[in-house]
Amino acid sequence: MLSSIIVKILDFTALLAVSTLAFAQSSKPPADDSSHVVLNTMAEELQRNFDGMKKKADPPPYFLSYEITDQDSHNISASLGVLNGVEDGRNRYLDVTVRVGDPKLDNFRRVRGERVQFTSGAAVPIDNTPVALRQDLWLETDRVYRASAERLIKIKTNQQVKTADRDTSNDFSSEESYAHWETPAKVTFDSTRWKQNVRDLSKNFLTYPDLLSSDVQVSFLADTRYFANTEGTRVQHGRDFARVIITASAKAKDGMDVSDFASFEAADPKDLPSSDVIKAAVKRVGEHVEALTTAKTAEPFVGPAILSGRASGVFFHEIFGHRIEGHRQKDESEGQTFTKSVGEKILPEFLSVTFDPTIKRIAGVDLNGWYEYDDEGQIGRPVKAVENGVLRNFLMSRSPIDGFDHSNGHGRRQPGLEVVSRQSNLIVTSTRTVSDQQLRRMLIDEIKKQNKPYGLYFEDITSGVTTTQRSGVQAFKVVPVIVYRVYADGRPDELIRGADIVGTPLASFSRIIATSDKQEVFNGYCGAESGSVPVSAVSPAILISEIEIEKKDASQDLLPLLPSPLSVGVN
Amino acid sequence: MIPLRRRGARTHACRVDTRLVSVAALILLGAVTLLAAQPDAVFDAMQAELQRSMTLTLNQLDKPYYLSYSVDDAHAWSAAATLGGLISSISNDYRAPRLHMRVGDYKFDNTNWTGANAAGPRYGLRNFPIEDENPLVLRQYLWLASDSAFKGALQSIARKRAALRNVTVSEELPDFDPAPPFVLIHDYHPVRFDSKTWDDRARRVSAVFSEFPALRNSGVELSAVDSLHRFVSNEGTKVRIQESLGTVEIRASAQASDGMIVRDMDILYTRDPARMFTEADLTKSARAVGEQVLKMAAAPLGDNYTGPVLFEGASSPQLMAEILGDNLHISRKPVTTPGGAAQSSTTELEGRRGVRIMPEFFDVKDDPTLPLFGHEDVDDEGVPDKPLSLVEKGVLKDFLRTRQPVRGYNDSNGRARLIANYGADTPVPTNLVITARETSPIPDMKKKLIDLIQQRGLPYGMIVRKMDFPSSASLDEARKILAAGAAGGSGRPVSMPLYAYRLYPDGREELVRGERFKGVNARSLKDILAAGDDSTTFNYLDNGAPFALLGYGSGAAEVTVVAPSVLIDDLEMSKVDDELPKLPIVPAPALAK
Repeated sequence: MLSSIIVKILDFTALLAVSTLAFAQSSKPPADDSSHVVLNTMAEELQRNFDGMKKKADPPPYFLSYEITDQDSHNISASLGVLNGVEDGRNRYLDVTVRVGDPKLDNFRRVRGERVQFTSGAAVPIDNTPVALRQDLWLETDRVYRASAERLIKIKTNQQVKTADRDTSNDFSSEESYAHWETPAKVTFDSTRWKQNVRDLSKNFLTYPDLLSSDVQVSFLADTRYFANTEGTRVQHGRDFARVIITASAKAKDGMDVSDFASFEAADPKDLPSSDVIKAAVKRVGEHVEALTTAKTAEPFVGPAILSGRASGVFFHEIFGHRIEGHRQKDESEGQTFTKSVGEKILPEFLSVTFDPTIKRIAGVDLNGWYEYDDEGQIGRPVKAVENGVLRNFLMSRSPIDGFDHSNGHGRRQPGLEVVSRQSNLIVTSTRTVSDQQLRRMLIDEIKKQNKPYGLYFEDITSGVTTTQRSGVQAFKVVPVIVYRVYADGRPDELIRGADIVGTPLASFSRIIATSDKQEVFNGYCGAESGSVPVSAVSPAILISEIEIEKKDASQDLLPLLPSPLSVGVN
Repeated sequence: MIPLRRRGARTHACRVDTRLVSVAALILLGAVTLLAAQPDAVFDAMQAELQRSMTLTLNQLDKPYYLSYSVDDAHAWSAAATLGGLISSISNDYRAPRLHMRVGDYKFDNTNWTGANAAGPRYGLRNFPIEDENPLVLRQYLWLASDSAFKGALQSIARKRAALRNVTVSEELPDFDPAPPFVLIHDYHPVRFDSKTWDDRARRVSAVFSEFPALRNSGVELSAVDSLHRFVSNEGTKVRIQESLGTVEIRASAQASDGMIVRDMDILYTRDPARMFTEADLTKSARAVGEQVLKMAAAPLGDNYTGPVLFEGASSPQLMAEILGDNLHISRKPVTTPGGAAQSSTTELEGRRGVRIMPEFFDVKDDPTLPLFGHEDVDDEGVPDKPLSLVEKGVLKDFLRTRQPVRGYNDSNGRARLIANYGADTPVPTNLVITARETSPIPDMKKKLIDLIQQRGLPYGMIVRKMDFPSSASLDEARKILAAGAAGGSGRPVSMPLYAYRLYPDGREELVRGERFKGVNARSLKDILAAGDDSTTFNYLDNGAPFALLGYGSGAAEVTVVAPSVLIDDLEMSKVDDELPKLPIVPAPALAK
C-alpha cells in the first residue's frame, strides 16, 4: 500500500454547509489518476441524488452513503498432489445507505428482533466507467430510498403503540468526516508457483493412509473499499489477505468424524511462511488426525484446564466479544449480559481486553482484523473494553447506545448486508503471567487440589457458537479439535476426541486463575448479522479452575466398506 | 448471471470416430475401442472403481445391481457488461461427478419414493480432482462417493419398505428399465478461447445501449462452456463425448409513464463457441432490443381479450415448447410416507395416447439426429436418443421416456435430459419438429383473423410475435404469473406475450403491453385454426423451471422447436393488474462521459 494522507475535515454540523468545498480543497486527488474515477463518480452521483431527493422526496432523506467493495480473489486447492480447484474472480459490490427521518429516529431504529435490510450488494462494473456506474448508483439509491421510507413510516406507527424503549439513545451518531486516498495496491500473486506449492504440500498427506479427505488451499484476496457519504467523507482504502488452509479428516472406528486444520495468514503472499514451515504443519495435521482416529473419546468432565493462547483467543471472541457489540445493548430481544455492567468487574483484575484494528502484526503474525476505516467511513480506533477486569467500553458503530454516543470505528459488514458493530483484533493482556512450564505446574496443583483424576489442555479450537438472543439460553459452545488429558501423576498427556466446551459466560470468566507470558494469534473469519468479516484473537494461554465439557453429538456411520484404492494400489 | 451449465452442447468438429458397437460384439470389442481412443485417466479410473464398487456389500442387505458414474470436465468462461463497463469476467475449470447407485433389483429398488435421496456419510468430499497425474487419487474420490451412495441407498430402500407397510400403491410398476449396453467414444479437441477478446466484446456490445438514454437498465452477457462428458455403467455402457455451448444474452428494460417495467431480451445459442456470433450481429441485436423496449414503454396498455390469436414467427415454437414439449411425457407418482405429499404433477397429455390432440393436418416428430441445436446422440442415462414420431395426423402416438418405467411403457427412448426428484430424470425433447400438411401464407392468416373478429363483432384481433420464453422475469414477477394461473384453475400458466399487437380490421397494427394469457394449455392445441406456410426454428435451454426462467431450475438441456405460425381460436388474454412501481424520484444521470 502506498502511504496515505488522513485529513480530518470538519465537525458534522459545520460540514453540512461546506462539505464538498472543504473536501475539494483539502485532498482532491490528481484528476488524471484513473483509480479515482470510482470515488469521484460516487461522490457526484451521491450529491445529485441527495439534492434531488431532498427537494422531491417525502419524507426526504437526511443522510446518504455509498460503499463499493472491490474484491479480486484467487483460490487454488489441491488434494493428494493434484489440483481440485482453481478459481479467479473480480467483483465490485455496491452498498447504499439512505437514512430518512432524523438522527433521533430513523429507518434503522432497532425494533425487537427485526432484521433491517435495505442494501443488496448490487454488482457494479469492475471497469472504471462513470456512465455505467452512475446508472447503477441512481437505480439502487431509488430502490433503497423506497424501502427506507416505507420502514420509517411503519416504525413511527409502531412507536405510538409500544411502550418506550429502555434505551433512549439516538439512531445515528454525529461523527467527524474523513478524506483518505490510497492507490489500490497491485500485489502480484504468482499462481503458477502456488499451484506447484499446493500440489507438493498436499502430496504429503499420501503418507497418512487413514485420512479420508485432505486439502491444501491457498487463497488471495485484494479488497479495496470506496466510501462516500453526504457529510463529506471520502475514503478509498484497502488491504490484501493471503491465506493457506490445511484440512484433513477421517473417521474413528465408532463412526465419529475427526478432523484438524492449520492455517497461515499474511497481508502479502510473500510474507506467508516458507514451504518447510507449511509442510511441517501439513505433517502435524496428518499426525493429529491419525492419532484422533484411535484416541479415547471424551467423557463429560468438570475440572481445571489450560487453554492455549489460540484456544483462549477463540474462547474470548465467542463468549465475551460478541456480547459487547454495541447494537446488542439496545435490542430488547438480546440477552444483554453486560449492558448494565459498565464500571463493574466482569473479569479477574489481572486481565484487560482491547479491540484494536490499528495493529497490523503481533508475535510475528499479520493480523486478519486490521483495517484503517470501517464500513461507515469511520477511522478504526483501539477500544479498551476491559481494563483490569472492569468493563469500560463497547464496540461501537454509528448506532449509539445510552452513555456511548459515538462510533469507535467498529461498524463492519460483508458486502450486501447492513453494518452492525463487530470485532476487530481482540487482544487479551494479563498482569498475572507465568511461564508455560509454571502454568502447567499450576494446572497439576489444581488437579490435585480438586481431587480430579486429570485436567485438560486445549491446544486448538476451530470454532464456536454463542447465543446472545434473550429467547435462547445465554450460553456458548466451542468446538475444540485438539484436546489432551493432563494427569497429575506424571503419566504422559493423552489425546482425546469429541469434547465440546460448554458453559455460561459470566461463570467461566470468574474462574480464570493465571495466564502464560506468551501471546498467540488466531486469525479467522467471524459470521454474524452483517456477514463474514475478518478478525483476529490474540491471547496468552489461560488456566481456568473449572471448565465443563460434554460429549460431542457424533455420527455413527460405518467406515468405508472397501479398502482405499490408495492402499490397494493399481489392480 | 447465467449459471454454469452442467452440460454443454457437442461441437460439430468432433462428430467423428463414433463407434457404435453391437451388444454381442461389445464384450470382445469394448476394451479395444477404448484403447484406440485418446488416453483418458479419468475414464480408466471410473471403470476400475465402478467394477470394484459393484462388489460393495453389507451384512445380508441389498446389493448394488446398477451403478453409473459420469464425470464432466468443464472449462467455463463468462463475461457480463453494462453500458460499456465490465461487471464480471469469470473463468472456471472444474469436474462435475455424478453417481447413480441402485440397490435391490430392477423390479424394486431404492428410488421412486419420496425418501429416495437419503444421504450417506459425507467423508469431507470436496471437489473432484482436475488433474490426472495420479489415477489413484481420482479413484479415491469415486471410492468414497460410491461407499456413501451405497449406504444412502440402503437407508432409502429400508425406509421405502417400511413405508410400504402402511400405504398401498394403486399400480405396481418396476423401478428401473434395463437397457442394452451402448458405446460411443469421441476424441476431445479443446476449444480455445481468448477471454480478453470476450471481455472487450461484452463491453462494446453493451455500450450500444448508451444510444438509448430512456432505458432503465441494460446488459450483455457472453458465456461459453467446453465440456467433455464421460459416462460408464455396470451394464457395459461407455460414453465419452465433447459438448460445448456458447450463450449470449442481450437485455434491456424501461419504465413506462404509468410505472410499468417493460423488458426484452435476445438470447443466442451456439454449440460451437469458438466461432461465436460476429460482433456485428450482436451489435445489431442490441440495437433492436433497445428500440423494441422503448417502443414497448411507449405502447398503450393492453385490454382484456377473448378471441382468435395469431402466433407469428418465433412465438409459435415458443408456445409449442411450453404447451406441447413440456407435456409429452408421463410423470410417475412416487411412493410416499403415509400423509406425506410428493412433488409431482400429472402432465396434460397423460392417458391421451391414440387421442386426437391437434387438428389432423399436424404431425410432430422429435428427431435428435437432425443437425440442429437440440441434437443429441445419447442421453444422461446412457441411452441413445431415438427419432420419435409423437403426433401423426393430430393423434398422439408416443411419449418421451427415460428409464423410469411409467404406466404403459417399460423402455426408454433416450430422453433423460434433466435431473428430476426421487432418483429419476425428466424427459425433455431434442429437436421437436411440428409440421402442417395444410398451410396458408401469413397474409391469408391475417385476413382470416380479421374475418373472424368481424364475424364476432370484436374491435380488433391479436397477433403475438414473441413470448417471454425463456423468461428474464424476476423471481417475484414469475411467482405472480404462477399464482395468477393457479387462481384461474388452468394448471401451469404459459409465459407472457412480449410482443403483442392489436390487428384492426383495416390492417393497422398497434403494439400493446402488459398482457397475460389465461387458461392457455395443451387443450388449446385443438383450437388451432390454421398453420402458416413458414417455419421458424427456435432454440432454448430447458432447465426445468417454469417459463425456463433464467438462472433457476436444475441443469440445462438444449432444445430446438421448429413450427409454422399458427392461428388459435378462443384464447383469453387479460391485462396485468399488478401494483406498479413509481417512477424514480431523481431523473436518470446523463449517459455522456
